[in-house]
Amino acid sequence: MKLSLLARACCSSMSPVSLRKYSQNQVSQHRRPMISSQIKPQIPLFLRPPIYSLTFSDLQKWQNWAKTLASSVGSSFQDFDHGPDSTLLRRELNWLMEDAIEDYSTTSRPGGCESRQKVKVRVDLEELYGLWKQRIEERRPFQYLVGCEHWRDLVLSVQEGVLIPRPETEMIVDLVCELVVENDWFKQGLWADLGTGSGALAIAIGRVLGDYGRVIATDLSPVSAMVASYNVQRYELQDKVVIKQGSWFEPLKNVEGQLVGLVSNPPYIPSDHICGLQAEVSKHEPRLALDGGLNGLDDLVHLCYRASSMLLCVGSLSSATTITNGEEQCQFLVNYMKSDLGGNFCYVKIVSDFAGIPRFVTDSPRAENHNTVKDGALKTIDHFLTLL
Amino acid sequence: MKMFSQSSLLFHFRQSLRHTIRNVATFSKLNTKYVFIGAGHNVTAERVNEFPSCFSPTLKWLSGSSQGLAHSIQCRLLGSQAAIEPSASDGLTVEGIIANRWTILDETEGDWKSHAAAIAQSIQLIKRRLQWKQLLVRVELLSAELDKPDIWDDPVHAGKVSREHGSLMGKLKEESMKSLARMRRDSKEKELRALLAGEQDSCSCFIEVQAGAGGTESMDWAKMVMQMYKMWAQQRGYGVTVVDEMPGEIAGIKRATIKVEGEYAFGYAKAEVGVHRLVRISPFDSGKRRHTSFAAVAVIPILGDGASHVQINESDLRIERFRAGGAGGQHVNTTESAVRIVHIPTGITATCQNERSQHQNRASAMAVLQSRLNQLEMARQAQMNAEHTKSLTEISWGNQIRTYVLHPYRMVKDLRTNYEVSDPDSVLEGDLDGFILSYLSASLDQVGYGS
Ligand SMILES: C[S@@+](CC[C@H](N)C(=O)[O-])C[C@H]1O[C@@H](n2cnc3c(N)ncnc32)[C@H](O)[C@@H]1O
Repeated sequence: MKLSLLARACCSSMSPVSLRKYSQNQVSQHRRPMISSQIKPQIPLFLRPPIYSLTFSDLQKWQNWAKTLASSVGSSFQDFDHGPDSTLLRRELNWLMEDAIEDYSTTSRPGGCESRQKVKVRVDLEELYGLWKQRIEERRPFQYLVGCEHWRDLVLSVQEGVLIPRPETEMIVDLVCELVVENDWFKQGLWADLGTGSGALAIAIGRVLGDYGRVIATDLSPVSAMVASYNVQRYELQDKVVIKQGSWFEPLKNVEGQLVGLVSNPPYIPSDHICGLQAEVSKHEPRLALDGGLNGLDDLVHLCYRASSMLLCVGSLSSATTITNGEEQCQFLVNYMKSDLGGNFCYVKIVSDFAGIPRFVTDSPRAENHNTVKDGALKTIDHFLTLL
Repeated sequence: MKMFSQSSLLFHFRQSLRHTIRNVATFSKLNTKYVFIGAGHNVTAERVNEFPSCFSPTLKWLSGSSQGLAHSIQCRLLGSQAAIEPSASDGLTVEGIIANRWTILDETEGDWKSHAAAIAQSIQLIKRRLQWKQLLVRVELLSAELDKPDIWDDPVHAGKVSREHGSLMGKLKEESMKSLARMRRDSKEKELRALLAGEQDSCSCFIEVQAGAGGTESMDWAKMVMQMYKMWAQQRGYGVTVVDEMPGEIAGIKRATIKVEGEYAFGYAKAEVGVHRLVRISPFDSGKRRHTSFAAVAVIPILGDGASHVQINESDLRIERFRAGGAGGQHVNTTESAVRIVHIPTGITATCQNERSQHQNRASAMAVLQSRLNQLEMARQAQMNAEHTKSLTEISWGNQIRTYVLHPYRMVKDLRTNYEVSDPDSVLEGDLDGFILSYLSASLDQVGYGS
């Protein structure tokens, strides 16, 4: 009880009322042609109606063709640019079928179908051939093929122009969860996800926050803002998560100094590394999502610099977490935050991902800090009460 | 407890008999009234499965009961040599039981004598409704007629006799056989369920197959074994999902784990733990030589929420992403998000790579790890109670249990029960119930029910 009171007391100017204002803004923004009418979110394959019907033998023929094509790749992509090998491609093929075929479990069972039996699918046969050709010949990412990415326990819609969320990024949510379960300050406060892409982080965090907790997410790319909004709707989080189009903190002007937490996965790849990446990334994913300038640090530094003014009681109470390229960038940021931005960030540390690569820089305050503040705030409230 | 399960078995049998009597009554009206039921051989538990034409001897459960009764009741379909006198080695027969005039108590009572008497009565009733005696006489008559050396002197008459005999036997096989076969299946199922009285038997489970030494040969064999279990589980109506699969370089799998979901999955599948051996002409050997390959099978129960789980400390775990080459993050777009979890104190690991997100791979791997640790703990406790100790590998992978020969002859033989079939293909397509049943009954007999 007291805790939630406190959280609101601390972000007094950020009452649920003003948040509602954001939701409304969002809705009206949606009606504005700039974002929504020119480009529409693509419906992920698995959500499309199964209006096509193929014979099982035609489907099998396609599958065999696709399998052979996948096998012919061998390890050539892997050797060339660390792309997928044929084992991985064959697994993707199964997932493509899982998404495309209405009754996949029966179809995939040995002896589950007779050859003349009709199978309901969500794309026609021609497109099935086309899609797999794109996968192998053009190296179009699998997730764009099926229009979605399974990420944590979510299935997020993605399409060209939107970065496909990475497995490493899942861990940011674990770091946030640690804070949220322990502490109502974080659970009921206002969070920001900068450069939200598909909305992955914003949505996952929105799902673990309490009744008063909110997330504002921004992205400069209109396609990303639109797809993120679509994903927010699909998870029915419109009341909790607001997507705003604009550059980094710019759409957050009126909540300056009110965030309890900030997460971001900004572009961090040095510009001239991009063309050497695997074709799925370099040829298909948006450059805006990857290019971090000369040494990849442009956006990271900007975000850290500005973060201190955005966070509520930065350093002692609020949390900021960002993803990086690896050890070097982590080290650089830690030094930068500690020395150049000294005093603002007190608990900066590096956390490694599951592959053992130092990946996250996070500044998360200790629980005791909140207790002291709690005492202080309660005293103030007491004081007001006696005045009344 | 044991007496109780025998009683409940008989109770179910009594119910299914009642059902059969109803069916039989219907088909007497349809004028297809030819069924032979007699009391036949005494079938001991270990021979049950080798005795294909028998009505499953549910009452064998009576043997070894505290009353010291050792007998079984057999209902058998008889061929044209028909009327074998109902008899059993211990002298107890359907008629015998009826003659004892045991009081038949209510079905809900746990009294085996009641159930036995009720069943015997039902069998008599079935016979009566099918006008069994008349039939028997008729068939005997026809058979005798057909046996006459001069019968074909009058081809018209002979044709008539042989047609009647034939149609009688045909109908017998078709109609009445169906009813009896259903009853037999029913009671066999009940019989099996009684075997599955272990604490974890009703759980879902993981089945793991690991290729033995011998490279591609064994990896291919491991894949065949896994396929056999997938098909077996699907045929039994269980949910099957692949948790982990490590493909071989050329063919087959190095190891794989599937999750089999449904009632009694563990109870049945546990009969498969051990090393499976294959003898065949290798498809990978250009010299077409005979090869022997091995694959090991482990089965791990997935305990329900109510059961006591081993507590796992987060800090004892090391979570690794594997096959994640390079810089990762934004640099890489891969659908591969395999996770391995290592439980540092025990060294036990679990891997999952078949889910579409890392988070779910981690959750699946965690479930496997939890089950492995639970199993280890149970084994540890069992060991503390038992005098002899088994090694950990023995507990999880067991000894060689079965041989599959595809060449020079064709056969699958279980080394524990000597149960064997001559059609490896059907076994490899998942027809495993015969093996499982015979093993379960044999292992239960070893425990010694009556004592
Ligand atoms: C590496 S992606 C991360 C996307 C998402 N957060 C995720 O983890 O999947 C970086 C995102 O930052 C966005 N971005 C790039 N420059 C930006 C800017 N100046 N302001 C806001 N967002 C920007 C890109 O459009 C892209 O969606």
